[in-house]
Amino acid sequence: MLIQQIVNGLTLGAIYSLIALGYTLVYGILTMINFAHSEVLMLGAFMALGLAALLPAVFGTGLVGLAGMFILSMAGAGLINVIIERLAYRPLRHISRLAPLISAIGVSIILQNGVFLWVSTQSLRFPEPVVIDQVQVFGATVSTLQIIILAAALILMGLLHFFVEHTKLGKAMRACSDDIQTAGLMGINSDYIIALTFFVGGALGGAAGVLYGMNYGSIKYNLGFLPGAKAFTAAVLGGIGNIRGAVLGGFILGFLEVLASGYIPNGAQWRDVIAFTVLIIVLLVRPSGLLGEKIAEKV
Amino acid sequence: MKALLRWRWTPWVALALAAAFPMFASVLDAQYLVRVGGIIGLFMLLGLGLNFTLGYAGLFDLGFIAFYAIGAYTTAIAMRAGVPAPLALGISVIVAVAFRALLGLTILRLRGDYLAVVTMGFGEIARLTINNLDSLTNGPKGLQLAPWRPLSFVSADPNTQYYLLILGAVALGCIASNRLEDSRVGRAWIAIREDEIAARLSGIPVRHYKLLAFTLSAAFAGLAGGLFAQWEQFVTPESFVFWESILVVSIVVLGGMGSIPGVLVGALVLVGFPPIMQWKLSSEWINYRYFFFGLILVLVTLFRPQGILPSSRREAELTS
Amino acid sequence: MTPKTAAAAGRVLLEVKDLAQHFGGLKAVDQVNLTIHEGEIVSVIGPNGAGKTTFFNVLTGVYPGTRGQILFNGQELRGMAGHDIVAVGVARTFQNIRLFSHMTALENVMVGRHTRTSQFLLGPLLRTNNFKIEEKAVETIAKDLLEFVGLKSLGNELAKNLPYGAQRKLEIARALASEPKLLILDEPTAGMNPTESQDLVALVRKVRERGVTVLLIEHQMRVVMDISDRVFVFDYGVKIAEGKPKEVVANARVIEAYLGKEGAS
Repeated sequence: MLIQQIVNGLTLGAIYSLIALGYTLVYGILTMINFAHSEVLMLGAFMALGLAALLPAVFGTGLVGLAGMFILSMAGAGLINVIIERLAYRPLRHISRLAPLISAIGVSIILQNGVFLWVSTQSLRFPEPVVIDQVQVFGATVSTLQIIILAAALILMGLLHFFVEHTKLGKAMRACSDDIQTAGLMGINSDYIIALTFFVGGALGGAAGVLYGMNYGSIKYNLGFLPGAKAFTAAVLGGIGNIRGAVLGGFILGFLEVLASGYIPNGAQWRDVIAFTVLIIVLLVRPSGLLGEKIAEKV
Repeated sequence: MKALLRWRWTPWVALALAAAFPMFASVLDAQYLVRVGGIIGLFMLLGLGLNFTLGYAGLFDLGFIAFYAIGAYTTAIAMRAGVPAPLALGISVIVAVAFRALLGLTILRLRGDYLAVVTMGFGEIARLTINNLDSLTNGPKGLQLAPWRPLSFVSADPNTQYYLLILGAVALGCIASNRLEDSRVGRAWIAIREDEIAARLSGIPVRHYKLLAFTLSAAFAGLAGGLFAQWEQFVTPESFVFWESILVVSIVVLGGMGSIPGVLVGALVLVGFPPIMQWKLSSEWINYRYFFFGLILVLVTLFRPQGILPSSRREAELTS
Repeated sequence: MTPKTAAAAGRVLLEVKDLAQHFGGLKAVDQVNLTIHEGEIVSVIGPNGAGKTTFFNVLTGVYPGTRGQILFNGQELRGMAGHDIVAVGVARTFQNIRLFSHMTALENVMVGRHTRTSQFLLGPLLRTNNFKIEEKAVETIAKDLLEFVGLKSLGNELAKNLPYGAQRKLEIARALASEPKLLILDEPTAGMNPTESQDLVALVRKVRERGVTVLLIEHQMRVVMDISDRVFVFDYGVKIAEGKPKEVVANARVIEAYLGKEGAS
């Protein structure tokens, strides 16, 4: 049973981590909470659905179809995030800290209601491009779906790590994250890097949306809110702005939720409270999050 | 417009007009608007409350509605236990303030964005707890209250009675906010918002004043929640979701942070908009009202970030 | 009367014993011992990074200090919260101006009055007589202080719109509002031209005449020589010399600190 829970925890954690990464990347570079991120992940799921519906022959079947659906949805979600940044955040960046936040909230409402009004008010069934099998691993029943989700998430995280640590653009992102003004003085086009960050963050969110759809079999216009909120707390738990922290926070949260559902009586009901309670407790002891930095102000 | 704002009789004229509004409404066969007015009033109270935390002290709070819920449920539970209505209201304020003080003591030392997440988290914890604690709150099925109709001598219509009660509360709230703003306490808050370190080294006990702003907010929320419960005679967790907290934040920010008239107008616009659209438009347009609400948020922020009626200080902050 | 010979001047106001502030392995301030007497104007000088501002930060409660004692009128300041230290009679200005930018000059000074006033919630809410009396007093004192520092006509200007020199003076007015016995100024003439610096020197003398002891960090040597009763020299976190300005300037170790070994020889 414990193995089963561990697998479930890993799967859920993987999804949360991807979403959390989206929040943390944007926060790291702009110190801004991208409230619309939860809607970007939802749109990623809907785009995958759309691709499978429009071109079932291409995207509806097989591993290649799945990968194609995945990649295109990620790109689409990334692009949407970039557009949102350009239109709703960039003009407000220098005005105040709160203005982009309110704008983000507005964008979130627009996107959610947009899908509600023009796509569907109901849950829609998510396509199954690959036949799902059950596999026995150490006595636990693991579905190939879970393996796919975990594999996809790990691959993406690996790619992100490689990109951020070993490419020139990644280095530019890290520089901007650290001190955007100085990065600009060093010749880095910060607007471009910001757009890139939003693209990457959005793409990861979109990927999470697709995986979410695969995991639960159906999607709805408001699917983004709760996972988004929880993943955000996961990012803060790990130390907002810190990439490793986002992954750590995401997995910790996934595990805690699964374990709480499994082992606490009536756990399923209280599952959602777990995330927030753990966050408050951790921040009491480590106010900057698990891997976060204490930033002292110069007097 | 500015001159109107500076004229010292404006608030009193506005108050008189607002008090007479139910009469106009019944003449124009628009009683529905009295109910809308009452709801707007509740959100004015909430906005005035959050204004202490967010507008004056500058603390980013994303879970304010939890204290509205605490106020509402405390009133419901108290009245069902036989407590007379006015006392129940008083108890609601005290309970809301107590929870808020406890929360504040715990989390106010966190950095701005962490504070935002934690308040959001607490908001969700409160809602989910109310939802799950069936024995006390009856969970999603909600609690019923017996009616309290203190203003029956003015009007038989409960909507009118509560409209007037809420209006009275809003008026008191405005007076209290104004008087505090224009005092040593108000100056301390604004100093903290401007530069916390300089404030501390000018002799202001920053933590105490943050806690004060934080806690005072809850008094407003608790009162509003209690009035809401008594008016609706029914409380359910569904009224206290995260988006309501966001709505109150939007009211304060879009109205003009730290500006009392701004908060009032913000509530009028943001809370009045969907129901008036609903009342005036054909049913197919009703579904679009939240979409347009989101659009308004984005557009107002993009084109008038200082808010609809900013305080002169805020105007200076954002238009230099 | 204004005594120029410090040690005989007044009684001991501030006594710092073996004070240290370490940040991990970095000893920003170490083994500092000094005494300041009532009525003195004392300058702290030293090359950049010598720990002068850090020292001021420990004195005013921004940093906790790693070791040592700070006795102000016999009372231990180490461990006290910043706002309590102001209440006890120590006020300061900052190296990088920290005014309340979107409050007016008058409001800035009124905020400084916080520790000498007591009205809390009931007063303002009920508009009691005591409240009105206190508010009037605060406003009057603030106006007087603005006039004292030479900003009489600028009371209603937003702090951020004031010229640089006026901003520095405003910070001093705000600090004086708390009726300190010790005023700590961190590079008050930074960025000022000679005329403005002269102006500030005159202001500091006026402050001393009011009975306030002044401790300042200063880089402009002319100002240091002109105004100080005594000088402390810091280098690498340690006090390396102290004495009257002329003595200190001739001190070989001090010269070495500023100019390097070759400069000293």
